[in-house]
Amino acid sequence: MDSKPADFAQYWQRTLDDLAGFPVRPELELLPLRTTDFATLYSVRLTSLGPYRLFGYLSIPTGTGPFPAIYYAPKYQSVLEIIPQGTANLQRSAYITFALAGRGQRNSDTPYAAMFPGLLTEGIEQAETYIFRGLAADSIRGLEFLLAQRELDPSRVVVVGNDLALITAALRPGATHVVATPALFYRTAELAPKTQAYPLEEINDYLRAFPATAAAVRRTLAYYDLQTFTPRVKATTLLMAGAPGALLDAQALAPLVTALPGPVTVHESEQSSYKDGLYAEQWMAERCGIADVLRILPEHWR
Amino acid sequence: MPKEVRADYQSKMRKPTDFEAFWQDVLHQVEAIPLAPAMVQEPLRTSDDIEVFQVFYHSLDQVRIAAWYCRPSHRAERSPAILFLPGYQMDPPIPKEWARKGYIALSVAPRGKLRSMHQFNPGYPNLLTHNIVDRHTYAYRGFYVDTWRGIDFLLSRPEVDPTRIGVTGTSQGGGLTICTAAMRPEIRAAAAGAPYLCGYLDAIELTHTYPYEEINDYLRQHPDSRPAVEETLAYFDGLNFADHITCPIIINIGLQDNVCPPETGYALFNRIGATDKRLYPYNGHGHDAGRSQHSVIVDRFFAQHLSPER
Repeated sequence: MDSKPADFAQYWQRTLDDLAGFPVRPELELLPLRTTDFATLYSVRLTSLGPYRLFGYLSIPTGTGPFPAIYYAPKYQSVLEIIPQGTANLQRSAYITFALAGRGQRNSDTPYAAMFPGLLTEGIEQAETYIFRGLAADSIRGLEFLLAQRELDPSRVVVVGNDLALITAALRPGATHVVATPALFYRTAELAPKTQAYPLEEINDYLRAFPATAAAVRRTLAYYDLQTFTPRVKATTLLMAGAPGALLDAQALAPLVTALPGPVTVHESEQSSYKDGLYAEQWMAERCGIADVLRILPEHWR
Repeated sequence: MPKEVRADYQSKMRKPTDFEAFWQDVLHQVEAIPLAPAMVQEPLRTSDDIEVFQVFYHSLDQVRIAAWYCRPSHRAERSPAILFLPGYQMDPPIPKEWARKGYIALSVAPRGKLRSMHQFNPGYPNLLTHNIVDRHTYAYRGFYVDTWRGIDFLLSRPEVDPTRIGVTGTSQGGGLTICTAAMRPEIRAAAAGAPYLCGYLDAIELTHTYPYEEINDYLRQHPDSRPAVEETLAYFDGLNFADHITCPIIINIGLQDNVCPPETGYALFNRIGATDKRLYPYNGHGHDAGRSQHSVIVDRFFAQHLSPER
């Protein structure tokens, strides 16, 4: 198990303080091509830690708000989606949605263009220069931007994503709900050797190529371990666990569940993107007071 | 319960009379471009059991294409090969898993993907509608050829047995598997999952999710372009490639697929020319198309047709 660094709180407070030193300076531009009669889409450019200019997609439902919101925190892939692939476009009629490309992802790839695989070990030998310090700041900045939207109902804000969703909710108040699928930062140093699958295989590759860095890598990862963040997450949480027997199944994630102070639901994957996806959509809709969830589901799920 | 999916779904897609002539012309153009293959060892990703290389080659319009190439460290003089084709938004993976099963594996990044985006980068969303009113410049014209050229790269490698090459992929990778199996007679076996790029015009009515929704966005913005869009897509639809497929092929679909409507999977299967073909429809599954159960079937299928243990 990665032990909590003595200066964990200072490391992240310094990150937040540094981020606060850079004004958001958002620029919004209407995207008529992706605007429908039920939602308006904007491209968004904003500043994060560095300074680093990021890109996102903001969708605002037609009508009078306030609306619940879904924040799609930066994913572990190069492509930024408006809403996740396979989500009914009508989701945008019920929620404000905001999807952010963290540094290195497409449209946020100047000056730094990330490689996949590759991002997970970028600068990993030093916590201060590790790329995920910036990415966590990006994700927090995205939530801050979303919370500032006047159409938003602050009592219904869902952060959706991988580990960054939980880290964001831990470090920045404002998320009322979290849907998180841990993949990168849960007992990473301990679990990576047990898999040959990417993205954790990136850690194995790195340590095989640079064995002398093992202690430094472990030290850096300790600043990112979800177990250390979870006590700070006050939001109601849905943890999407792997199927039984998977590296990150419900049993493996049990310590996270225990550590989360807010209400937690664990959904163990049924190895069906339909069943798992439907569960998450219904969970969010129920908690956001959306009665007619069928209307905003993909046609083949109704 | 979700509605039942009709296995006898009839697609509206019709094949243009000059479909074959169009693609023959494209193939002639690319034949004139030297492959200029290059392999660069990737020590960071290489392990005792798997050698990993970055690969580069030229494709249509002189676009330089990147790929990952994996081979088992201990292998026969000539090994079977798998061409792995990526999903729409997926970053092409390093195909170590295939190499661990005894295959040489090439994972292609067609133009616009990470590492193949210096000369062509319409972005995501956008790729699906880039120049969609003109079949001679439509994004997928070069994109398809980039994948087919992966076969040329494999044939250029002395360690690849040219009589044992298979192709596979899911979603867009499934759609690319279809057109690759149709256009490259060297393919001995094909496994396509949840095939995308099949029944475009059906899909945009059957579902309203991205990526297909890109086309609906485009048509809403450019309603007068619908005839040109329909004309173009007919040259790129997997349904119109399907009758050219003669190798053994398996297809898996999810009956609750929210990305690639299962109706189009049935329409595709019904048009495939091969006699040795089998469809695996998975009820209770979405775009995963039953992967958790189906992967063992894919492994068995390729083992039967490509004999990695030989």
